[in-house]
Amino acid sequence: MEAIEHPPIFRLPGVPDHVTYTWIVMIILIGLSWAATRRASLVPRGAQNFVEVILEQFIQMIDDVIGVEGRRYLPFIATLGLFILVSNLMGLVPGLMSPTGNLMTNAACAIIVFFAYHYIGIKTQGLGHYLKHFMGPVPALAPLMIPIEIISHLARPLSLTLRLFGNMTGGHILLAIIFFLMGLQGLIGFALSGSLGGVIVGGIGGVVMIAFTVGFLYPLKILVSFLQAFIFVMLTMLYIASAVEGAEHDEPHGHAESHAAHH
Amino acid sequence: MRSLILAAMAVLVPSVALAADAPAAGGSLVGPYSVLVAGFAMAFAAGLCALGQGRAIASAVDAMARQPGAAARIQTAMIIGLALIESLAIYVLVVAMILLFVQPIK
Repeated sequence: MEAIEHPPIFRLPGVPDHVTYTWIVMIILIGLSWAATRRASLVPRGAQNFVEVILEQFIQMIDDVIGVEGRRYLPFIATLGLFILVSNLMGLVPGLMSPTGNLMTNAACAIIVFFAYHYIGIKTQGLGHYLKHFMGPVPALAPLMIPIEIISHLARPLSLTLRLFGNMTGGHILLAIIFFLMGLQGLIGFALSGSLGGVIVGGIGGVVMIAFTVGFLYPLKILVSFLQAFIFVMLTMLYIASAVEGAEHDEPHGHAESHAAHH
Repeated sequence: MRSLILAAMAVLVPSVALAADAPAAGGSLVGPYSVLVAGFAMAFAAGLCALGQGRAIASAVDAMARQPGAAARIQTAMIIGLALIESLAIYVLVVAMILLFVQPIK
């Protein structure tokens, strides 16, 4: 990828670029949450208001997918979502790079999700009960179901990783190739070589390139950034919901309602 | 017709197409073929992925038009489904990028 993508401006010697930019994302998010909680008040203003609006969206999504009892996983889910969103958007700033454009960052996020939802499932259902889900509906089918379940669970972090990586890197390569093809350097060099024809061709080419990039590619990449962060978070919530789900089946569902009806 | 044959030759026999700057007759053909394969694989994957996503979107929009009340939930399910379909094309993209940039087999 180094062949066509320019390295970012700010680099620390001896530290890989994606780690440097992960730290920058961490600084941004920690600063945002510090500014939001510095003077927390009942009537939110400024940064607190902003963060509360974002977190309410997360809570809404969690309520829809996992249920109200899933709110205790809000810190985990919202941290992942905000980290991925800020990382995706940071790649759009010229000269910076997005940490999610690297396989290692995505693999780290996906492995955290993998272990977290198994941990949540085991904690809510107990180990034996959780493992029973791997055996399928009928005990006779267990030799068939266990390998299938194991493979499908192992494929989850892989697909989470590769989806985010492919979308981000594909977008970066697309931008790089558009710049490379329409050749800002080449066109300007052509224009500066003196002739009036060069100036006209170079000027039109540059305008077309800038209009295409700013008018089409950048909005597309912003959309993809939000969408991929949303999908990562949504799939995480679905995995957690499927891990927690078994516990709900055992307890009678109408318990809460009948309890409420008694009062 | 002749140009068609030439194009077919250029696809099927990369050593002919690249004869101008191919270093030696004994050189491996894996490199030129891998570039071709990366491009064609991405083209097939993108086309078939578009077909699949088109079907998904068509039925989702149909369902939303029938039941506007459930539009939000249908849209969420549609986006998740689109992501899962798209990830198959993304796998091909990753394979193509490995073929182009990493080149494990020369």
